[in-house]
Amino acid sequence: MKSLHGEWFSNVRNDLLAGMVVALALIPEAIAFSIIAGVDPKVGLYASFSIAVVIAFVGGRPGMISAATGAMALVMVTLVKEHGLQYLLAATVLTGIFQIIAGWVRLGVLMRFVSRSVVTGFVNALAILIFLAQMPELIGVSWHVYAMTAAGLGIIYLFPYLTRAVPSPLVTIVVLTVVALLLKLDIRTVGDMGALPDSLPVFLIPDIPLNVETLKIILPYSLTLMVVGLLESLMTATIVDDLTDTRSDKNRECVGQGVANIATGFIGGMAGCAMIGQSVINVKSGGRGRLSTLAAGLFLLILVVFLGDWVRQIPMAALVAVMIMVSIGTFNWASFRNLRDHPPSSSVVMVATVVVTVATHDLAKGVLTGVLLSGFFFAHKVGQILRVGSLAEDEGRQRTYRVTGQVFFATADRFVNAFDFKEVIERVRIDVSRAHFWDITAVSALDKVVLKFRREGCEVEIIGLNEASATMVDKFGVHDKDGAGDLLLDH
Amino acid sequence: MKIENKVLACVDQSPFADHVGDYAAWAAVRMDAPLELLHVIERHPEIGDTRDHSGALTPNAQEHLLSELSEQDEMYTRRSREQGRVFLNRLRERALAAGVASVDMRQRHGHLDETLRDWEPGVRLFVLGRHGQSGAAGGQDMGSNVERVVRMLQRPVLTVTEGFKPPQRVLIAFDGSALTRRGVQMVADSPLLRGLPITLQMAGKLRQDGPREISWAAETLTAAGFDVRQSIRDGEAEKVILETIAAEDVDLLVMGAYSHARWRSLLFGSRTDTLLRAVRIPALLLR
Repeated sequence: MKSLHGEWFSNVRNDLLAGMVVALALIPEAIAFSIIAGVDPKVGLYASFSIAVVIAFVGGRPGMISAATGAMALVMVTLVKEHGLQYLLAATVLTGIFQIIAGWVRLGVLMRFVSRSVVTGFVNALAILIFLAQMPELIGVSWHVYAMTAAGLGIIYLFPYLTRAVPSPLVTIVVLTVVALLLKLDIRTVGDMGALPDSLPVFLIPDIPLNVETLKIILPYSLTLMVVGLLESLMTATIVDDLTDTRSDKNRECVGQGVANIATGFIGGMAGCAMIGQSVINVKSGGRGRLSTLAAGLFLLILVVFLGDWVRQIPMAALVAVMIMVSIGTFNWASFRNLRDHPPSSSVVMVATVVVTVATHDLAKGVLTGVLLSGFFFAHKVGQILRVGSLAEDEGRQRTYRVTGQVFFATADRFVNAFDFKEVIERVRIDVSRAHFWDITAVSALDKVVLKFRREGCEVEIIGLNEASATMVDKFGVHDKDGAGDLLLDH
Repeated sequence: MKIENKVLACVDQSPFADHVGDYAAWAAVRMDAPLELLHVIERHPEIGDTRDHSGALTPNAQEHLLSELSEQDEMYTRRSREQGRVFLNRLRERALAAGVASVDMRQRHGHLDETLRDWEPGVRLFVLGRHGQSGAAGGQDMGSNVERVVRMLQRPVLTVTEGFKPPQRVLIAFDGSALTRRGVQMVADSPLLRGLPITLQMAGKLRQDGPREISWAAETLTAAGFDVRQSIRDGEAEKVILETIAAEDVDLLVMGAYSHARWRSLLFGSRTDTLLRAVRIPALLLR
């Protein structure tokens, strides 16, 4: 499986067919995402071609489809609006550079902190944003458009009952285009949205001044693009891993995404990443190897360049229907039911991720919110596990406190407050053999307790510092060192 | 893992499995070692067998696809598990009938290489077929796994072809290298070939210390009670060995295997490979 041959040629027929299916589905998406980003459709189409082809060779997850994506398009809207396409191309190259660095320093491990709820929030937010992005095509238009869109959705979902040999989105596009041409309907077509590719892509250097001003403009966008691109790519890689029951090389995927984006920036394409929906379609169609990804990219370019005149005639309504399908297919519908079944904290994380993303149109902010909230909730939950019990011994001369559970920043106050410093007593024993001291907050809390008792004239003895706690206390604690009292008095 | 020193027969469901089992049983009886029959169930996740080209993303497409694919895998695994069990059981009966005292059988998931690597510490001798399932039709093809597996392992590997005949005469392809000297020592120390007449064959471009090396080998083997005939011949090693095998009716070849780096055998071809392809008798490969 690891072998080069195995990754490329163990599944040739199915990979080629699946690549074809994916290419047909990629075309409407690439056009739609270009429109979201505010650039000509050719920018998205070139990007999808180049990213798919490059990632086929350098990616870490065979069988995953990468191309121009909605998540990335949403990030670049303002950049394109304010500074134009050339800055987007430069930002795309810079994004690639950052992603390569991220792969080298193995940032992929940070994905551990992205919980399942955050992932669900991410895909739901993405689905909602893709759906909302179709609204401009559906508001204030003639009834023809509604009828066409409805008919398109009908074909997409019903045609597979007839046959699964032909991609139903393709049938939708062909049928709606023919109908629009026959009836000479006056509705918007893809050709109205900007230039389509008329040739193979060529190498070009973004036409921007190479100075600090430019860097200041593109840097924030590139950073966000890097984060969003890697997030979606690694999430998708995990999904493909699960679907095919195989493993992938996540760091190689990060570097691969970077290489693909750099190449794409230099042929006039927009930044992209892995696509959840398309990767699912690919696996469903039998695609498993690198060849499927390569085939998708090549077919896409061939179709677009040679059938450009036909692509121009596709009514936007057909595209909208396909994109609504993508959005419905991406949304995690089970998450509605899960709102009731899952713990409230998970639901809050999921909903917060969705809300922040939809409000800011920035998946990175949404995910950051989700991750931070997960962290808070986790700290809170773990903080519940702390008990301090005590018993008077030795005829009232000594009291033994027994600490059980986790002591860290979130529980340090409760830990300190659990001791009775006003008690008049000779000796205090603190048994921490069943506690864990996690951080310096916990250690200084223990110091504080010890010093407070000492100031009341008690002898303090700490017993059973287990290994984990002992290392923390040895490293950071002051109470058992000379001059501990002075140190406290100095404060 | 506990040291069991067993003979491990790696079988797949090909016609050769019987012969692999027979040779393994022969070796186990001679060495008085326990025999284990191993069948590795390899799944092929790199091959897609879903052919839904509808390209439509239905609601919850991902969940549905996941459950569909895992059901397929489950069914496949269950079927091959049962098939494999019946098949292994038959081989086990056969080995017991051949007089092996202890026969264990086991099926494992995963790839052959990984499994053998995991298993190696408890194994004294591997037995595998030179024609695997994939190579069955090709006749002269080596089982696709042999080179990869042999390179990976440190213990001796007995590779067998079609047909079983208890070995009567052994040829040791000896070139005086450290590897074959170690091999001679191994043969001398092991009960596996005890009592069988041995031909020590040295061939190819003659090394200066060739005669000295070969007489050392002959002495070592004679001291261990073997009936040894030594032969030094000029000429292309592969050809000489093939001729001797034919002339003396040799039915077990002992040789060092894949002593050169992999890149070298990719460029220049590997002598081990050439020989293994040409001879039709079992070969005991020493690492």
